Amino acid sequence: MPDTPQVSPDPPDTVYHPMTGAEGSIIEIERFNLWYGDKQALFDNSIDIQMGLVTALIGPSGCGKSTLLRSLNRMNDLIDGLRLGGAIRLDGADIYHRDIDVIGLRKRMGMVFQKPNPFPMSIADNVTYPIKVDGVRDRRVLQETVERALKAAALWEEVKDRLRDSALGLSGGQQQRLCIARAIAADPDVLLMDEPCSALDPLATAKIEDLIDELRGRYTIVIVTHNMQQAARVSDNTAFMYLGRIVEYGKTKTVFTTPRSRRTEDYVTGRFG
Amino acid sequence: MKDTPSPATSQLPPADAPPAAAAGGPAARRPREKRARRTVLLADRIADRVITVGGILVIVAVLGILVFLVTETLPLFRSGQMTGERRYTLPEPAGQTLGLGLDEYKTLAYALSADGRLQVFHARSGRLLTSGRLDLGSAPVTAQAHTIDRTQWAFGFADGTVRFADARFETTILSPQDLPTGLTPLGDGDATDGHAVFSAIPGDQYRQVTFRMELEAPVAVGDAQRAIAAMAYTASGQAERSVRTLATVDGDDRVALIQTASRTNLMTGERRTTVNRIQLPPLPAPIEVFGVRLTAKADTLLVADRSGAVFRYNLTDLQHPVLAESARVMPPRARLTAFDFLLGSRSLLVAGSNGALALYFLLERNDFRTVDGQSLVQARTFTAGGTAVHFFAPSLRDKSFATIDGTGRLEVRHGTSRKQLADFPTGLPLEGFRELVLAPRVDGVMALQADGRVVFYEFDVPHPETTFATLFQKVWYEGYAEPGYTWQSSAATDDYEAKLSLVPLIFGSFKAAFYSMLFAVPIAILGAVYTSEFVHRRLRGVIKPTMEMMASLPSVVLGFVAALVLAPVVETWIAAVLLAFVGLPLALMLGAYLWQLLPLHLANRLKGIPKFALMLLSVLLAAWATRALGPFFEELFFHGDFRAWLNGDVGGAAPFLFLLLLPLCALAVSILQQRFLAGLRQRPAGGLEALPRALGELGLWLLRAALTFLLAAGLAHLLAALGADARGGLVGTYVQRNTLVVGFAMGFAVIPIIYTIAEDALNAVPEHLRAASLGCGATLWQTALYVVLPTAASGVFSAVMIGMGRAVGETMIVVMAAGNTPILDWNIFNGLRALSATIAVELPEAVKDGTLYRVLFLAGLVLFAMTFVINTVAEIVRQRFRRRATQL
Repeated sequence: MPDTPQVSPDPPDTVYHPMTGAEGSIIEIERFNLWYGDKQALFDNSIDIQMGLVTALIGPSGCGKSTLLRSLNRMNDLIDGLRLGGAIRLDGADIYHRDIDVIGLRKRMGMVFQKPNPFPMSIADNVTYPIKVDGVRDRRVLQETVERALKAAALWEEVKDRLRDSALGLSGGQQQRLCIARAIAADPDVLLMDEPCSALDPLATAKIEDLIDELRGRYTIVIVTHNMQQAARVSDNTAFMYLGRIVEYGKTKTVFTTPRSRRTEDYVTGRFG
Repeated sequence: MKDTPSPATSQLPPADAPPAAAAGGPAARRPREKRARRTVLLADRIADRVITVGGILVIVAVLGILVFLVTETLPLFRSGQMTGERRYTLPEPAGQTLGLGLDEYKTLAYALSADGRLQVFHARSGRLLTSGRLDLGSAPVTAQAHTIDRTQWAFGFADGTVRFADARFETTILSPQDLPTGLTPLGDGDATDGHAVFSAIPGDQYRQVTFRMELEAPVAVGDAQRAIAAMAYTASGQAERSVRTLATVDGDDRVALIQTASRTNLMTGERRTTVNRIQLPPLPAPIEVFGVRLTAKADTLLVADRSGAVFRYNLTDLQHPVLAESARVMPPRARLTAFDFLLGSRSLLVAGSNGALALYFLLERNDFRTVDGQSLVQARTFTAGGTAVHFFAPSLRDKSFATIDGTGRLEVRHGTSRKQLADFPTGLPLEGFRELVLAPRVDGVMALQADGRVVFYEFDVPHPETTFATLFQKVWYEGYAEPGYTWQSSAATDDYEAKLSLVPLIFGSFKAAFYSMLFAVPIAILGAVYTSEFVHRRLRGVIKPTMEMMASLPSVVLGFVAALVLAPVVETWIAAVLLAFVGLPLALMLGAYLWQLLPLHLANRLKGIPKFALMLLSVLLAAWATRALGPFFEELFFHGDFRAWLNGDVGGAAPFLFLLLLPLCALAVSILQQRFLAGLRQRPAGGLEALPRALGELGLWLLRAALTFLLAAGLAHLLAALGADARGGLVGTYVQRNTLVVGFAMGFAVIPIIYTIAEDALNAVPEHLRAASLGCGATLWQTALYVVLPTAASGVFSAVMIGMGRAVGETMIVVMAAGNTPILDWNIFNGLRALSATIAVELPEAVKDGTLYRVLFLAGLVLFAMTFVINTVAEIVRQRFRRRATQL
């Protein structure tokens, strides 16, 4: 791991007015900087993600929202020439500390990707995969997990008769809900969603949004979306990012109705983006 | 491809036509002209044609090779074709015939009557050339015998004397200017000067064939009062120092062996003959002697009674000859009608009045209850036409023989393949036949009737000894204790029989492929998983081309390194090599668990090159340790001498069974642990408890290893107590050029191709599946094992199949390192002979269009079929894989 580079002396000019959850913050991102080789992708990002709330990351393409999301469970680790600065803390522990177990970290953070990516296995095997890699072999536990996760992902009624069928036979929306079921099967603390609806039709999108609404409170959800209506509909807090910086982080309603930053306003009113 | 000349091309107006002309009315808007340039279209059309023609040519070439192979091999399965039939009558009736002979080129024939008349005639036209009379003396001839090539004759007389005769065809090649003038044409391009026959042969030359028969003075071999009833005769030695062995049965059923040795003094030309008469033990009962036969080596004498009883004398020890066996070769009431040896005098052909025709071998086996442990055993029977076979003429070249049955039908068959080579209904009565002779090259057969009528058939059988059964099924060859699959294409003697079973060769190819795959597949696939899933992309960019470069190593180099360097090393260090199969994986796994003990920050810092170096180091350490422990291991497991242990001289079965069971037990233990003791593994959670967890896992692994060893040892002893032993099956006699060495060398040759294709298949697994798995908290290894490998399974499978196709077709390594022993034996320490190696080794020696030549082409066809099937299966699987991959 590269040594922590010097953080730029400029104080971040981010506007903060986030909603605070009942249980406080679970993830603290503090002056987080990230470089791909010589190119800096994230500049002094600092936000607290509140436990049990839905936090949306919005911004134009290439603004670094996915990069920030992937930094939360260290999915960026494999990228060449990656350098970091600042800190991200999960429950107070720096996830980039040298003693941290990345695998254990990822078990606490379920992830849903842009494109539905079920494994080429049966529906049930897809759901039980995260607990199987934990060494769970008890058939009863596995069955319970399948039912619980699929019910939580609002997919149970649709697939309960064909749990042994290949997951690739499901429709795109169903596949994405299956991926959500898989992400929550191991009972993580945080659910990271990277544009989960970008490959879906409006009907499937609506179902996913309903699902996010239902999961609110049970999981801390961080969702990246380029769809501002979606962010407005599902999230409690919204962070608007622009060119690798967090411009404004605050209550969703405020961000979309009375943004306190000029750039945010331009973006949410569609003047650029 | 076909549609490439687009419709636009054909509708294209000529270039000089004004564009407006097509537009119609004057008011019409000028249509926009957009068309491809003429050169572009031309280039497109030319490319289309060239590619089409090229593709068709490739297909035609492959099909052409296939058709060529098939046409080269088809004659193997053809039966005979008649090429000529001649009938004529000799001027003088044959009467009681003593002998009939035919030369190698089917030009001259002779017939000798009991009164000494010798007629020499042109075989194709029947024209009499010379007619003479041999002075056989006053006593009537009572028995005759001849060597199988009919050059040496012996006649027995009523006064107990024997006269030897020498009958020879002499062939000289003449140039046209040496040809005598005034020749009388005989037809068929032959001419005669009244004595010799001259035939035109290719190369503007002439062949002169003459016949000469010389009769020697009578030799008294027994009592003057007792006529010789039957005789057998073999001769050996050169002309000036010949040894002749004669067996006689006289009128009183007394059997005697007479050896005459003649010596010609080179100075004086004087010839001295000594006669040594050995009286053999008497026959148990008076018999009606049918025939007497002596083997070529004169070590066995058979006396046959008309009732079908055969008495066998063992003459190996001439001081103490024994009547070793009395056997019946006919069922009761059937009578013997024909009785003779085939070429090589190891197969005895008997025919009976019941229509039976059977072949007997003289075999030596422990369970025979005869004096000398040998016995006549019926090896095979022939389906005769229902009527008894009466005349019998063996071939001089192979195991073919001609017969005449009760309806006068003349048949030629092969004794081993049982193929019917020719079948001629002569339409002549059986009673009239006096003699039958098969042409020396098995391309003609001549029969003589008492009234001088001769039938002479010419036929053509290119490959009498091969049928589907001799090539692919068990065949009982003479001298073998039982039917088997045998490949032996040449031998040191003239009368050997080529044994051409392809089964040992096909087996050899598969055996070599199997053992090399056993070695190559795990290494290649694990290597592919390692580079595609674990290694940094930049390191992968170095490793992959390096592995691919391995493929460019010529296999002949691998072969001779294997044969000249590896084979002696493996032989010297065999115990260490065996130990390495256990030691290397153990060392690597132990290293992996010890690595877990490292603090995370250290592990993270060292995970690049240092980790790789440590892995190499642990492999080297393990290699050193196995080498150092080799002798100790050999002492402990194999009584200090592995090769003696392999031969079954020392030691028990359990130690090796233990080694064999180890991987199985390791698998069983890990499955059991996952099933029932999954709770023992703590759920990995946070960072600080990494060390205790790693210690726990190390302890668990050690426990599992100990359990595996205990289980394997227990099972091995149990199996050994039940009588199981790997010796004789999977392992056995050790030879230096063995399958283990081939497995190493050929494994080395196929690793790159399996590795490359498998690596490509693994890489083709979409990145988002890996991300999904890693996002679920799976480790890299779990991701590789549970997601990447199953998704790429068919690609990996097709990699293995293509590697196997390569291993089956691989030639130079098996030629040099496999020992080339065509045996059916799974023993990894024994050699093998592969189809490809056989073709490479034997084709230079095979006569063009000969049987071996065509069988080698058939071997090529079989090899083609095998690799074709393997590669096709691989391709089909890969296509399926590709279709599935597009769904992801």
